[in-house]
Amino acid sequence: MKSLTITEIEQFLKSVEPEFDLRVPIRLHDGTRSLGGLNEGPLSLMGGKIPLKPTSVFFPQTERVFTRESDGEIKMEKPGEKPILVVGYTAEDADCLEFIDKFFSENFRDDLYFQKRDGSVIMVVSGKCGPDGGFLKIAGGKCDLELICDGERFIAQAYTEKGRQLEKKMKASKEVGDIDSLKKMSDELPDDDLKTIQKASELILAEKVPDAFWVEIGDRCIACTSCNYACPTCTCFEVYDRVHDGTTVRERMWDSCQLDGFMREASGHNPMGTEDIRTRRRIHHKLAADVTRWGHLTCYLCGRCDDACPTNIGIKSVSRMIVERYSQANEK
Amino acid sequence: MKKTLTTCPYCGTGCMYYLVSDENNKITGIEPTANHPVSKNWVCVKGWNSFHFVNHPDRLKVPQIRKNGKMEQATWNEALDHVIARLREIRDKYGNDSIMFFSSAKTTNEENYLMMKLARAVFKTNNVDHCARLCHASTVVGLATTFGSGAMTNSISCVDEADLIFVTGSNTTEQHPLIGTRILNAVQKGAKLIVADNRKIRLARHAVLHLKHKNGTDVALANAMMNVIIGEGLEDKEFVANRTENYENLKKTVEKYTPEYAAEITGLKPEEIIEAARMFAKAKKAMIIYSMGITQHSHGVDNVKSMANLVMLTGNLGKPGTGVNPLRGQNNVQGACDMGALPNVYSGYQKVTEENIRARFEKAWGVENLPSNVGYTVTTAINAAAEGKLKAIYIMGENPMMSDPDQNHVREALEKLEFLVVQDIFPTPTAKFAHVVLPASSYAEKDGTFTSTERRVQRVRKAIDPPGQSRSDWEILCDVAERMGYKQMKYKNPGEIMDEIASVTPIYGGISFDRIDQLGLQWPCPDKNHPGTPVLHVGKFTRGLGLFCAVEYKPSMELPDKEYPFCLSTGRCYFHFHTGTMTRRSRILDREERFPFVEINTSDAKNLGIRNREYIMVATRRGEVKAMARVTDGIVPGVIFMTFHFEEGPANLLTINALDPEAKIPEYKVCAAKVRKIS
Ligand code: SF4
Ligand code: SF4
Ligand code: SF4
Repeated sequence: MKSLTITEIEQFLKSVEPEFDLRVPIRLHDGTRSLGGLNEGPLSLMGGKIPLKPTSVFFPQTERVFTRESDGEIKMEKPGEKPILVVGYTAEDADCLEFIDKFFSENFRDDLYFQKRDGSVIMVVSGKCGPDGGFLKIAGGKCDLELICDGERFIAQAYTEKGRQLEKKMKASKEVGDIDSLKKMSDELPDDDLKTIQKASELILAEKVPDAFWVEIGDRCIACTSCNYACPTCTCFEVYDRVHDGTTVRERMWDSCQLDGFMREASGHNPMGTEDIRTRRRIHHKLAADVTRWGHLTCYLCGRCDDACPTNIGIKSVSRMIVERYSQANEK
Repeated sequence: MKKTLTTCPYCGTGCMYYLVSDENNKITGIEPTANHPVSKNWVCVKGWNSFHFVNHPDRLKVPQIRKNGKMEQATWNEALDHVIARLREIRDKYGNDSIMFFSSAKTTNEENYLMMKLARAVFKTNNVDHCARLCHASTVVGLATTFGSGAMTNSISCVDEADLIFVTGSNTTEQHPLIGTRILNAVQKGAKLIVADNRKIRLARHAVLHLKHKNGTDVALANAMMNVIIGEGLEDKEFVANRTENYENLKKTVEKYTPEYAAEITGLKPEEIIEAARMFAKAKKAMIIYSMGITQHSHGVDNVKSMANLVMLTGNLGKPGTGVNPLRGQNNVQGACDMGALPNVYSGYQKVTEENIRARFEKAWGVENLPSNVGYTVTTAINAAAEGKLKAIYIMGENPMMSDPDQNHVREALEKLEFLVVQDIFPTPTAKFAHVVLPASSYAEKDGTFTSTERRVQRVRKAIDPPGQSRSDWEILCDVAERMGYKQMKYKNPGEIMDEIASVTPIYGGISFDRIDQLGLQWPCPDKNHPGTPVLHVGKFTRGLGLFCAVEYKPSMELPDKEYPFCLSTGRCYFHFHTGTMTRRSRILDREERFPFVEINTSDAKNLGIRNREYIMVATRRGEVKAMARVTDGIVPGVIFMTFHFEEGPANLLTINALDPEAKIPEYKVCAAKVRKIS
């Protein structure tokens, strides 16, 4: 297996730049890590998840759906010239992407999403390159190629044909035999958070969480929408038209279930008219409603809503509170 | 894809984030920064949507001149030549002080500085002011008198360190959301919260004590709290003795404000006042956070002085976790004040009445005879225009038709003007009265700085090109000055303007674009090596000793009576900003609050047969406005609340043009009103 230094990875990325629209981990002006082109900032492979919603690469905050010229002609948006190459998803991000692929193709395919997604290549970064030297879970699949850090170098593991093609283009100064020890470390990562949200999910489904709890939590929600806007599996959007000199532009933009207007009916009636119901719904959706609909949780513990919520009501902290208060073991 | 680090154009919290833009010169979204001390990973809903108005089709793109009563498109040359020709004529005919300049807390420091330079150096008038007049003029006056510096004494991060937070007249989670969340978090970690505000704001749900005192009775409440503190010997004797003066006077004045006496005025129970006083005085580190509920009164300065008195009395100054913390509303209202877009001071609060200061600016600007008389304020200018004393106004980014009290009075004033220039990014209701409209660029299309409420000077950066022929305010102002024959207002970029600001403004002396490239600096920052000042008045007040200013309670100008039985209070909601020109053109924000509304207590609504979401008429002695009833227990009986965001239901048609005698701030928070059903 090829084992690359950061410089070798950078050289590889430069070599494929003509073919791909690169979205790789970089540092922006004030050091914030982001996904972007190599010209947008220095490469930043270490440090774990990128704060922004990683799926925004395929589902950006706003995007044009179509343009209707003043003569009535409708122009659909065209796909970009080059396929997108993403480097720097975590294993959890790859899980999230897998889910929203499913979501956006259910019933009818969301063209706008798949215009970007089709042909794209996903490279997960994992191993000993988390924040403060922490270990990032190894995906072991769900992406085209994985770069697994052994603390110094990154070992390339391809999982798909596209991944293998790219792996061939990588020039590595070293080869390694196996990554078993790294895989073992990954397998041994604690799964407390998963257990917590699974337990919280069970408690919610069993109707063990009283309304008063959601009132208490909702009282702290300032409807900033960051939890939704950071979450890789949040996919809700709002559609609107703007008319510029006779040309109508239809666009869509991220919406948020933490907002009153999200479900408000034209009459003013709102089935989700208070923060407690909205907060309940957000958590409920990922941990209960989706379990019924898809057969699994749709939170993959990427950790972003907990980072993004300014009042500590991300899914992990809420789940922790639910389990502490309402699981039978603790009820006694 | 390009990501440009910049500062939020809405509230004074001063969050920074990245504007994400594409190859087509269009902003597609925002991305939070992970490293900013205030907005670490976070922005509020206004921040997330702060890019969306930028590309709105309503943007002004071409200069316009009124010809035969109709606005017609013009070239920049025509428009600016017309502006200077008319301003010259008016100046020559009626004198320098017949022209007024409205600067703007929405624009950058550099632009505010240039606006006041244009007024003073080129047009030789001190008639320059901006909307701080409408929000924190009382703070600037009140805190400058008591402490010597009219700004937030502490930093936003100090909220994390306080043991007790006293929030009054500030709906913090809606108006300064990311300061509000800090308060919520501090409470989670054990800090005590007292909310003094008769609306049941979100913070009130987390308060140990919620004081619902009557609108406009803050002085009585504060005096009574000090009466209790002194009576029980809870004052910080050492601080009072060593750091303050005029204590005996305060002591004498508050003597009569027993809790029982104040209870009569405020409508509170005496025990509530006593408890608040004890909690405040006994806390190790207590801070006051206030906003418009304190300042927007005909006795706004008295209210501010009361806050300062309370904090000095308990020694809560000059250290982290304490202080008097007025939250400045607009993104750059602190900066616009700092830049001297005020009728009495140059940048850095240097008085126009002092000869040596004038001499310094004359030298720096290469002019003679800078005017020494204090100019009109935004509010007195409108009065003077209505009386025919003021003939022309040059407005940059302000919307007095929507923001100033008593809209009919404002209309009359604007109609009387011989010449009105409006420089803005959208066609505002004010622009309808303009003789010339100049299209300006938005915050996303120019470089510069904003100064946040915690006195942090931060970068604003150009992400995209301005639409059409619109230009940055600073470029337009420089162009006007040049056409007036003034040679010393030419700059290659806003960085050069900041260098000039630093050279004439001691508190900004060490600020330059280089130093604030990633993270801003908090003034005072007197020299290039100074690290900035997170906490003011450490060891010594700016004025030396803190001055106790004893004040008596004065009732508001227009109290409810038989004919107008309600008290109308006005303000903002979470989703909109001020006159709504930007937020109402942002899809998500506009969807959230779409109609002018009036909050009314459930029992009042029941008595009047008013149902939730029914349109009703709200009337005051100034006029009548239709708004949707929002029936709620979040407001006390006898009080109604409206916002001033809606052109189709303008709250400021109703408000009273009663001003604080010193600060000239209008009494937006109290006037008498009645409501009726529409049959
Ligand atoms: S941790 Fe939060 S942000 Fe991440 S997938 Fe789960 S719900 Fe979404
Ligand atoms: S991030 Fe937190 S405060 Fe913001 S909308 Fe979500 S739950 Fe509410
Ligand atoms: S808190 Fe204020 S500065 Fe921060 S994002 Fe919201 S409106 Fe902008």
